[in-house]
Amino acid sequence: MPAVQDTIDRVRKIDVDQYKYGFSTEIETDKAPKGLTEDTIRLISAKKGEPEWMLEWRLDAFKRWQTLEEPTWARVAYPKIDFQDIHYYAAPKTQAGPSSLDEVDPELLKVYEKLGIPLKEQEILAGVKKPGHEAEAEGIINEMAEDNVYKSGRVAVDAVFDSVSVVTTFKKELAQAGVIFCSISEAIRDHPDLIKKYLGSVVPTTDNFYATLNAAVFTDGSFVFVPKGVRCPMELSTYFRINEKNTGQFERTLIIAEEGAYVSYLEGCTAPQRDENQLHAAVVELVALDDAEIKYSTVQNWYPGDAQGKGGIYNFVTKRGDCRGHRSKISWTQVETGSAITWKYPSCILRGDDSRGEFYSIAVSNGYQQVDSGTKMIHLGKNTSSRIISKGIAAGFSQNTYRGQVSAHRKATGARNFTNCDSLLIGDQCGAHTVPYMEAKNSSAKFEHEATTSKISEDAKFYVMQRGIPEEEAVALIVNGFVREVIQELPMEFAVEAQKLIGISLEGSVG
Amino acid sequence: MNIHPTIQKRTPAEDALVASFEDRFSRLPGDPEVSVKRDAAIEQLKAGLPTRHVEAWHYTDLRRLLTHVPESTAAKGGAVAVEPLLDGSVVTALFDGVHARRLPTLDGVKFEAVADKLSDGSLAPALGASGDDDAVGALNTALVGDGVFVDVSENTSLEVPIEIQNIHTGGQTHTRNAVRVGNGASAIVIERQTGTNPALVSHVSNLSVGDGAEVTWVIVQEQPDTVTHLAQFNAYIGANAKLTLFVMNAGGKLVRQEIKVKTVGEGSDFQLRGVNLLAGDTHSDTTMVLDHAVPHCGSRELVRNVVTGKARGVFQGRINVHQIAQKTDAKMACNTLLLSDDAEFLTKPELEIFADDVACGHGATVTEIDRNHLFYLMARGVPEKEGRGMLVKAFLAEVIEELEHPALVEALEAKLDEWFRVNV
Repeated sequence: MPAVQDTIDRVRKIDVDQYKYGFSTEIETDKAPKGLTEDTIRLISAKKGEPEWMLEWRLDAFKRWQTLEEPTWARVAYPKIDFQDIHYYAAPKTQAGPSSLDEVDPELLKVYEKLGIPLKEQEILAGVKKPGHEAEAEGIINEMAEDNVYKSGRVAVDAVFDSVSVVTTFKKELAQAGVIFCSISEAIRDHPDLIKKYLGSVVPTTDNFYATLNAAVFTDGSFVFVPKGVRCPMELSTYFRINEKNTGQFERTLIIAEEGAYVSYLEGCTAPQRDENQLHAAVVELVALDDAEIKYSTVQNWYPGDAQGKGGIYNFVTKRGDCRGHRSKISWTQVETGSAITWKYPSCILRGDDSRGEFYSIAVSNGYQQVDSGTKMIHLGKNTSSRIISKGIAAGFSQNTYRGQVSAHRKATGARNFTNCDSLLIGDQCGAHTVPYMEAKNSSAKFEHEATTSKISEDAKFYVMQRGIPEEEAVALIVNGFVREVIQELPMEFAVEAQKLIGISLEGSVG
Repeated sequence: MNIHPTIQKRTPAEDALVASFEDRFSRLPGDPEVSVKRDAAIEQLKAGLPTRHVEAWHYTDLRRLLTHVPESTAAKGGAVAVEPLLDGSVVTALFDGVHARRLPTLDGVKFEAVADKLSDGSLAPALGASGDDDAVGALNTALVGDGVFVDVSENTSLEVPIEIQNIHTGGQTHTRNAVRVGNGASAIVIERQTGTNPALVSHVSNLSVGDGAEVTWVIVQEQPDTVTHLAQFNAYIGANAKLTLFVMNAGGKLVRQEIKVKTVGEGSDFQLRGVNLLAGDTHSDTTMVLDHAVPHCGSRELVRNVVTGKARGVFQGRINVHQIAQKTDAKMACNTLLLSDDAEFLTKPELEIFADDVACGHGATVTEIDRNHLFYLMARGVPEKEGRGMLVKAFLAEVIEELEHPALVEALEAKLDEWFRVNV
């Protein structure tokens, strides 16, 4: 189990509140003034060169938002957010829509390299550009063997830095297959018909406080369109980075898989270590038509705040997938280790007959983190099925809540759900909570739910230690076993990353 | 009542409740302290009944569902005493909230009227709502008239069960029982809720189980399908004590049975067994909050529901494990059979855990009768209706058979059969 050993090594090396991605970069930025008014929205829209109808859409959402109140039902506590004290737009100044990587500010590329995403090398590897020396290429290949998913050269990346998409790799290769992968701003300009048809069709602008805010001020994000019958030739990925102080990040992602299409999408995110809290309110919409499949994986590693609970990202995200077509499938896999506060319920609307929704989650909380996360499976079509596997690990002073809803509509005959949520508590100052809502409105629905909360069983630990494995390693082994079901669902290279991340998040509490 | 801020205007039902209070207030028993509690409670009701935006009432929007509040004047007589569930029980009966006969006498047990305890103020501390969302507590506090106070003295082992009957013939009744079982004592208490006419009933039972005591409490609710029944059962369990609570809900139009239990002494044990038999267009909500507040306690909750017709059932169960309550072992299960296409069951089993060295779990299932099982029986010549009955009964029998009192098991099974004859 080299991964286990690696987890332990990292745990040993790193101090309690070390966050690997906590550096910030001095890059000259173009910022909107603080505050949120109609003018802010006009500014964002103008910066993005958006058509009039998009601006109208945003302003409508803004008007709506002004009438809404912040939701308070989640088990999270934080001081009231001053929405007028945030920059709603921040973009690196040098960025002027580079057509190739060479035009991207090298400072920015360095940031991504530091984060383990060598955008440039990636393209070189794939043969977009000839490598300068063969030896260089060899070096890169060696590096590739390290483990990083982004270095494997098989993933197209859309890099979003504060409010803008810096670059999207492999666009040409994807276009050959008919796949559109670009930033949402580009899509609004270049594919208005698709945007008009699908944007807001899964998460309407009226959905909830943060989704409405996002609709008004979203700045960038990714757009994926996989046409009928196409199996996307590579993994797609977006890497979100918050860099600027006092900014909020409001990204919008829209993924459409037409009839029989397949796409696997990864999302990663980090932010610098800062004392103040920063807001991240994203909206993700997935649409799967007949026989289509979308696999959406997230490794969420926003800055979680320091050991005293100071700083960190507020992660208030609305993610929803619509299984619009018959026999379609949407699968959410998430590994949540970052953010001071997480408020996130990736959901599936199972509209098509025989459609399937899946949700696999690992939520690790440590320090003073607060997690309120889970899913919704709304069964509307006939013979729909869903599966929920959620693993929560709470350590330190954190609060970790699973909140999920499974409902079968009156006409959703043959709806089937299996839910399993387990929580593991490490230390006696943390809390783990389970709040499932099950709503069966027709007799042929078959729902099963089980949940357990416990600490690492002394018997299990004894069993492992008795075979000569030291305690710390035994704990790591058991934790890894606890989350294995979810890790298995991640793309392979991501799984290794995720496993390490869990090790890091639990540092100071394992053992 | 922590109501949605936009709600301004009171519903007719809310108005009627406030009017009942104004009408009755001067005649209700109680010393000044009780009056203060009543005033506070009615203020809470004036703010509005809870809606689905109040988490504890998520599936029972009382403000919307409570459409009719009958006249506050109690129906005049006509109540007929019912046979006790178990032969030889000591019976106290309240007809429309009024004691129907003299309180019984029993060695080691003191019976008193709650009206007297309100008048002398000794029950005042037990009154009041436990929070903004405690509509049942507030309603009962505001309007409670009478009930039974039972004190079982230390180390008394009662041979005969105590049965407390509440029989309603219409109008409104607001009753309250307070039962104290002393250290080392043991008792079986049976709470019956029956009636004949449309009525609004609020009922609160408070139980305190002394150290080392053992109590079996049985609630049998079989009101007609025109009754609104809002009930609350509160219990504190002392060290090394055991409480077994059995709840059978088989009637009513709008039913809310709240169960609030707290372990206050180490080594205590709580067992809940519930059977909800829901038919017609009843809306029946069983809501449990179990507080594990001290270490080394155990609990098991098993609730089985059968829903048919257009009935809607709700089960909310929350287990709170406080930070000091290490070594808690709590398990909760809620299983439901839906027998008709219009039946509905909504469940929310929650765990809220602040201690790490615990083993807690819950399970919940909703399904219909297994067609293979039914086919198996029918292939052997059992008619379909009978086969369904057998399967449903087997599903429920498990809950009842665990009770360690053979006569009680028999009596409850008879109740089941009665319900099956009509509804399955």
